Amino acid sequence: MLLFQSEEWIDKWCRRNNLQRGEVLTLQQVWELSKLWYGNRMSLEYHGRSTEQVAEIFKQAGLKSEFWYDQ
Amino acid sequence: MNDSLLWQIRHFVYKHFADTTHPPSVDITAAHFNISSEEASEYYKELHNRHAFFLDLESTTVRMANPFSGIPTDFSVHANGKTYYANCAWDMLGIPAALHTDAVIEAICTESNETVEIQIQNGNLRFTNYDLLVHFPLSFSHWYDDLVFT
Repeated sequence: MLLFQSEEWIDKWCRRNNLQRGEVLTLQQVWELSKLWYGNRMSLEYHGRSTEQVAEIFKQAGLKSEFWYDQ
Repeated sequence: MNDSLLWQIRHFVYKHFADTTHPPSVDITAAHFNISSEEASEYYKELHNRHAFFLDLESTTVRMANPFSGIPTDFSVHANGKTYYANCAWDMLGIPAALHTDAVIEAICTESNETVEIQIQNGNLRFTNYDLLVHFPLSFSHWYDDLVFT
């Protein structure tokens, strides 16, 4: 996942690399997702997540588009 | 393979990253758990297969234990008096989230090549360039197809 300064730079990068545009989040959205995703990563009890648990985190982070729930 | 030891090794690798900013070698992990390097190597490979971390399989070194990177990247995270490298624009925020700490992040923006500074203070995100965006090129089901690209 790369950091960009505008939508235009993302479009330019996608064109230059002949790639389809994925999903774009604001830095604030990514911070909220990070807290949910990584908050327990240092715990001995963390053993990974099921697809259902991943979907629940995306839901809690307010990510609603199909991109996040593609199986 | 002992499942309890497997997850203890995962935890040790992460703690070592947090304490030193780099991953423990197979030999360091073997010595810590009083097992042979060959056994430690097998545990590393199993954790790689379970996506607990990502190995350079030729050298059996940890390349990524997300959010931590085992090699320098465009995303430097200064926290707790140390400088970590993150794997990507998401993981640069993942490090203070995982460590539950304040951080100052220096990141290079793709295409524009400008370096921006981002701060995490008391759980809040602070930065001056309000157009900063993160592009996720692949959906979750494809993240592990090619983790370096992802």
